[in-house]
Amino acid sequence: MAVLDHVDQTLDCQGLLCPIPVVKTNKKIKEMAIGQTLLMLATDPGSMPDMTAWAKQTGQELVGSEQQGKLFKFYIRKAK
Amino acid sequence: MSEDVRRVLYIQTNGVDEPERSATPFHLASAAASMDMEVGIYFTVNGPTLLKRGVAETISPKRNGGAPLTRFINQARECGVKFYVCTASLDLNDLKLEELIDGVELLGAAAFNDMAVEADQVISF
Repeated sequence: MAVLDHVDQTLDCQGLLCPIPVVKTNKKIKEMAIGQTLLMLATDPGSMPDMTAWAKQTGQELVGSEQQGKLFKFYIRKAK
Repeated sequence: MSEDVRRVLYIQTNGVDEPERSATPFHLASAAASMDMEVGIYFTVNGPTLLKRGVAETISPKRNGGAPLTRFINQARECGVKFYVCTASLDLNDLKLEELIDGVELLGAAAFNDMAVEADQVISF
């Protein structure tokens, strides 16, 4: 997936375990405006399938993701 | 995806005697609620004992130094998970609604079955 160079907000969930990154991401995205992009950083090893499932169920758009060692980066666009 | 709200109902039958089985429904329910689902946990059989005021602070799903159950309960609550208790199971455990933590709703057998058939998924522990 493409990785964006512009983000509106960043949420650092490094060191937090499931389900906290999902919980915090959902709270954060609700505070943002439609069309804005959130960069979420996580080290939870299950965060890739978790964030994919979260986006699928909530209708928010996971526009990009990347893994650097143990760090996962998720780029989420608020779609609704 | 769909604009229709999805509903998941968890059933917790385990109580204070099985602390390692106490937290998972709260944990999964928190994630489901954070996926914009409508989520409830129904406490039946021994489940109501987890909700007795003052109990969750003293038990942990992890035997050696894990987080207290209170943390899982509070997180589920903050995510909007609803807690329901079986009226007959309160009696089974010699408990009264007033002895439970705040915000728990009584739900009888007919109301439970109605909720179960209206839910998209019912998951039992």
